Amino acid sequence: MSGFLQIDAIEKRWAHNVTVGPITLDIARGEILAVLGPSGSGKTTMLRLLAGFETADGGRIAVAGEDVTTVPPARRRFGMVFQHYALFPHLDVGENVGFGLQGRGKGDEGRAKQQISEALALVDLAGYERRKVHELSGGQQQRVALARALAPEPRVLLLDEPLSNLDPALRERTRHELREVIKRAGGGITTVFVTHEQEEAFDLGDRIAVLNNGHLEQVGAPDDLYEHPSNLFVATFVGRANVFRGASSRALGGNGTGVLVVRPERLRFADAGLPGVVRERRYTGAAAFFLVEGDDHQRFEVLAEPDAAQVGQRVYVEATRVIAL
Amino acid sequence: MGRLRRTNLAAVALTLLLAWLVVYPILVVGADAADGTAVRAFVTRPGEWAALWASVWISLVSVILAAAIGIPLAFLFEWFDFPGRKTLGALIALPVVLPPLVGVIAFLFLYGESGFIARAIQSLLHLQNAPWRLQGAVAILLVHAYSMYVYFYLFTRAGLAKLDVSMLEAAQALGASRRATLWRVIVPLLRPSLVGAAMLTFMTALGSFSAPYIFGGGFRVMTTQIVATKLNGDLPLAMVETVALALVAIAGLVMLRRTEGDDILVALGKGIAPRPRPIRRRGVRWLAAGAGWGLAVLLLLPHLTLALVSLVPYGAWTTEVLPPVINLENYRRLFSEAERLRPMLNSLWMAAASTAVAVALALAGGWLVVRRRVALRRAIEALLALPWALPGTVFAIALAITFSVHAPLQLRFVLVGTAVILPLAYLVRALPLTGRGILAAYRQLDPSLEEAAASLGAGRWRTLARVTLPQLRPGLAAGASLAFVAALGDIVASIVLYTYETRPVSIEILSSLRLSETGVAAAFGVVLMIVSAVVLGVGARR
Repeated sequence: MSGFLQIDAIEKRWAHNVTVGPITLDIARGEILAVLGPSGSGKTTMLRLLAGFETADGGRIAVAGEDVTTVPPARRRFGMVFQHYALFPHLDVGENVGFGLQGRGKGDEGRAKQQISEALALVDLAGYERRKVHELSGGQQQRVALARALAPEPRVLLLDEPLSNLDPALRERTRHELREVIKRAGGGITTVFVTHEQEEAFDLGDRIAVLNNGHLEQVGAPDDLYEHPSNLFVATFVGRANVFRGASSRALGGNGTGVLVVRPERLRFADAGLPGVVRERRYTGAAAFFLVEGDDHQRFEVLAEPDAAQVGQRVYVEATRVIAL
Repeated sequence: MGRLRRTNLAAVALTLLLAWLVVYPILVVGADAADGTAVRAFVTRPGEWAALWASVWISLVSVILAAAIGIPLAFLFEWFDFPGRKTLGALIALPVVLPPLVGVIAFLFLYGESGFIARAIQSLLHLQNAPWRLQGAVAILLVHAYSMYVYFYLFTRAGLAKLDVSMLEAAQALGASRRATLWRVIVPLLRPSLVGAAMLTFMTALGSFSAPYIFGGGFRVMTTQIVATKLNGDLPLAMVETVALALVAIAGLVMLRRTEGDDILVALGKGIAPRPRPIRRRGVRWLAAGAGWGLAVLLLLPHLTLALVSLVPYGAWTTEVLPPVINLENYRRLFSEAERLRPMLNSLWMAAASTAVAVALALAGGWLVVRRRVALRRAIEALLALPWALPGTVFAIALAITFSVHAPLQLRFVLVGTAVILPLAYLVRALPLTGRGILAAYRQLDPSLEEAAASLGAGRWRTLARVTLPQLRPGLAAGASLAFVAALGDIVASIVLYTYETRPVSIEILSSLRLSETGVAAAFGVVLMIVSAVVLGVGARR
């Protein structure tokens, strides 16, 4: 696959033992790629390399076949939404959105005005041109930042933890709106966004790139990552996972040599299998998580019907599906 | 109920006390100045208008010069990294914290017509006379630019340090070039800092007394004009002049406030300042370091000269380039002769007393304004800040007029000629400094800390001593040390209000200069400088 945005062995060396990359990734036109990783995994560095705020120590970045590795951010035509939005406090909403439109052919103010109102309409803020940015709510500021990044019709959109500044209730709703806007803008804009939340990555991304310690662990569609993690880090970082080794792994059908990863919903109480005692029950409404302590004192989680077991009860657990690593 | 009433009573008492100190004398002068003959004399004499105009344009040009030096310096030191950046960055902020009089006489000893450099050129080229005369407007502007660039330097650096680096990156991501980013993002965001610096420079230049007094010659600005009129005994005219200067100061403030506009430039989100960029090219880096070091030497040279002059005994240095004799004779005289030691002790105790009272009043103000949020909080805050808005000479004359009459019913007492008047004048000037520091610190203080202390059983005084004061310490120490140093080196109020018994160091420096005892004057200057630096160093400690 030759992608629209090609990242070829890009690398940044901060210190001799702190290196991000080399990372190689191809992103298709119109695709939304989520970069998922814990803090310090290098995901922000990767985004800043794409934006041009950091210079790469190796590798290359190309957009539609054009090498942009050394192109400065101002001429890269990548839109960026910053974590804290970086809206200009001395400009109003319209001036913020129009910032990237100026200096592109003079005398075309009418067109710029049109583009500003279109960009604002896209994020559902039509008519907000003369509002001051500090009068807006956090969610509105986030949408202004998005409109500002989209207005100059960038080739690639970059988002740095775009939802981390919103409160949880707003976050979920905004996620869907954000995906919708991105898919609508210019018939689907190629997007890379960085997050440390698995749920956000699943919801927003067409594909997910998992980063750890500066290295790309795995790239794939959400269900691909969840069902077929390529290593223990991805298995445990993406979704909940129980890790079994040795005898307990054999009791669940493994061969006992490697590691067995089982999702909580892939475990169920049965008449035989891995024995243990229920230590805790966390009720979530539709189901409950049961914390079971095995005979080797290893603890694991089972997701089951709320009344499937009681605390203190001796149980046997079997797996409906395992991931052998 | 009782507590509320006591709080309000305290607020009223503090408001009245502050009003009596900082507003009442001005009102007295304003009322007395409405005197037909004096006003006519002021309006018809060309010298008065010339002095007023001189004050205005000198102040405006001072702002421009200070900005031209201070702003580029701030960018250089905030954005680029080169060897010695940190040390130099602190050193070049020095001139502003030293007493103006010390800076002025140091300048005189270095660049004056019989100063170090003039003397060197004269003897090198075998000239008959000094190569230049450092006098008039040019000399005043030189001194102003040399000391006041620090306001622009510090304010711009602070503004740059608060800039959010993601703002600059956002501009770049939107396609703005470096130039466009500077003009469309950085400068607008710096505007509050620049207006603040311009305001401070304008006020300082307008109230500046030492430079025009020493270098003015026949060239008069309003501050020196007022003092001359007062010394000539023409009190009514001095009052009219004072009111004129006060009006110019207020007009200037109002105009600058207007340019500031009412934009609220709140930072959205957490700003991370751009880190200084190391200069990559070796030649450029050394050039920057060389320029920085050269500049620091240039800026510190007057004070080094002052130290040198202080080591030369009376009459020993005549036409030579370098002094033939160097010893500690001047310092010995300073500390052994009772008549010389006295001004030093006077200045110390008067500065200490005025600072202590200013701190106490500001603490009371901070508690009432920030904690109790009393109805009079705006009035209290305004009264604490007011003395900053008017030149020191205005207050000196106002206090001299108000407190030379015995009229207890009008709350006027004869304080002029007593040991109280100078500390009182210093106190008025100290209020904005301690007030700003302590109020700002109070605002940052989390009220739940005091509530926690109370819930743990600490009484009001124990909470104050163990929680509030330690938390306020940085702001309090900064304000108090600035107030102390300002009082220690004060000349503006002192020259109007001193008596022989209570004469402070600044007056002693002037009379030593008049007697051509330059060594003694310089020694006084060095002592002032050292004490000021130590006090400020202690005050700035975190």
